[in-house]
Amino acid sequence: MKILIIEDEPGLNRSMVDYLSSQQYLCECVTNYSSALEKIELYQYDCIVLDLMLPGGNGLDLLKALKKANRMDGVIIISARNELEDRITGLQIGADDYLAKPFHLPELSVRIAAIIRRKNMQGSNTLAFEEITLDISAKTVHVQQAEVILTRKEYDLLVYFIVNRNRVVSKNAIAGHLWGDDMDVADNYDFIYAHIKNLRKKLLAAGAGDYIRSVYGMGYKLAVK
Amino acid sequence: MKLFARYNRLNIMATVIVFMVGGFTFYLLLHYILVQQVDSTLQSEQQEIYQYVKIHGVLPEILNTKDQHEVFSKGVPVQQGYATVNYQGDGRDELYRDVRFNIAVEGEKYGVIVSKPLRSTQLLLNLIILVTLAMIALILVTGLLINRRILNNIWRPFYDTVGQVKQYNLSAPDAVTLQKTDIEEFALLNDSIAAMMDSVQQDYQALKKFTGHAAHEMQTPLAVIRTRMDMLMQQENLLNEYGPGIAEIEQAVQRLSRLNQSLLLLTKVENRQFALNEEVQIEEVVENKCAEFTEMMLERKISLSLSVTPFSVRFHRQLAEILTGNLVNNAMRYNKQGGAIVITLDNGLLTIANTSNLPALEQEQVFQRFYRHSDVKAEGNGLGLSIVKQICDFAGFTVNYTYVNDMHIFCVNFNASTTIGG
Repeated sequence: MKILIIEDEPGLNRSMVDYLSSQQYLCECVTNYSSALEKIELYQYDCIVLDLMLPGGNGLDLLKALKKANRMDGVIIISARNELEDRITGLQIGADDYLAKPFHLPELSVRIAAIIRRKNMQGSNTLAFEEITLDISAKTVHVQQAEVILTRKEYDLLVYFIVNRNRVVSKNAIAGHLWGDDMDVADNYDFIYAHIKNLRKKLLAAGAGDYIRSVYGMGYKLAVK
Repeated sequence: MKLFARYNRLNIMATVIVFMVGGFTFYLLLHYILVQQVDSTLQSEQQEIYQYVKIHGVLPEILNTKDQHEVFSKGVPVQQGYATVNYQGDGRDELYRDVRFNIAVEGEKYGVIVSKPLRSTQLLLNLIILVTLAMIALILVTGLLINRRILNNIWRPFYDTVGQVKQYNLSAPDAVTLQKTDIEEFALLNDSIAAMMDSVQQDYQALKKFTGHAAHEMQTPLAVIRTRMDMLMQQENLLNEYGPGIAEIEQAVQRLSRLNQSLLLLTKVENRQFALNEEVQIEEVVENKCAEFTEMMLERKISLSLSVTPFSVRFHRQLAEILTGNLVNNAMRYNKQGGAIVITLDNGLLTIANTSNLPALEQEQVFQRFYRHSDVKAEGNGLGLSIVKQICDFAGFTVNYTYVNDMHIFCVNFNASTTIGG
């Protein structure tokens, strides 16, 4: 899986490359408009992470160039300008998703995974971790052929964990993913814990291993021990 | 006391004093002249008596009238000269002017007193007092009339201006139109106020831009910190050692970015960057928001009573969601374990009431930025309610807070809309 990261802030660019590379993505990165245009013209990517305000030009113009060339690369816009109009314009021109800064890396990762899955519809639309399999289009979960009934939140949580497997995800990142940025749940960590506890219980009951564990009160991690 | 009333009072007092002093001086002067005249007639009387005595060798016959009175006293010499005397004992109840002299008639010495009444000077005095009083009264009356006219007409531009300035609102500067006036001072006042409002407005605009830009510029560094934190967390040996510290940083970044987003939102609402061009079904928004919070309410054993009737208003969907979201969120956050939330929407009147361990909040301050009740730990960012207030102001709704029967009640009236935004 090839990903192009177009972001002019070096620190942010490096973080994204580090995180996504560790998830078996092949990452290339550029920090300005002209080199981004060059890369886009030369290569094809599964997903492009696109910042809007770039030295030398506007990210939206890159998006227009891509669409004009009838390219199928997935595009996720990341912007500091969390303006509704930007979001709408970006999606209208043909971006697949829009993520406002500051975001959590696991969130970016789960969005990229979703875009790539959508783009590869001909392939199997499933997500698997050990004996757990998810059918993304049907939103069903099986543990060794036995279906596990999850609530909407528990299902989202499981997808989030599987995409970010072997990574520690903070409680804040989980809260942002499940309830959106509008809801301030900082004082409701117990609540996240309750959801995770239920998810673990259901998976264990279905015969799956105990893969989700709490990490030093920081967050949680899905991994084979 | 009004400026003009004070001015007028001084003016009238000065005028009255001038009139009194003038009247008194006038009286003294006239009195002096008249007495001089009387003295000169008395002198000619004296001459006549001398003449008569010289020719006839006897004193003339006394013919007393009301205009003249003569006394000849044989052998009683008098102090010679002129004098003003008040004769009261002898039936002449008046002031008189006397000339007194001694005369010798055939060896006999006589003291002579010729008196003339000062009646006319008395009349004069009365007249002058009357005229002076009449003038003073006239001045008072004209002063009053002028005063009334001035206050009604000439000062009108001043009161217009003051009224306009009172209505001045930073976010709606166009509402103030200062009337043209041909009175120089008021024109000067208006010009100065207009200039002041311009510069205030410029500063305000600059400040608004600054807040927006500053918040915006912070997004990227925040993104760097947050993503770096996400990376740092992957080092489990590091977490083992610095876990709590890293958790605190991550928590602080979370609060900072939330604060930043609230500031950005607040600035955008203040700058009217939302178009109020959607019909929003308020009851839908309220129901959706309540549904979002249901789980959390269950968790904290908070009971929710919700009763809504359909109401549609010209608004902005996202703003409607933020508005209700903030209120419902607060109703839950500051609630107590096992408490209650009562939400009603009736005829466009949204009431959100909740129980809490907090006492009544300060009405005046509750919508201010960064207001927190002193008993509240720094949980929220202190901007939720000012965002609610700002959205209501922008869309022309009203919001108020009351504390009744141990319930904190926030009430939004979606009817108050005389939409000024857009």
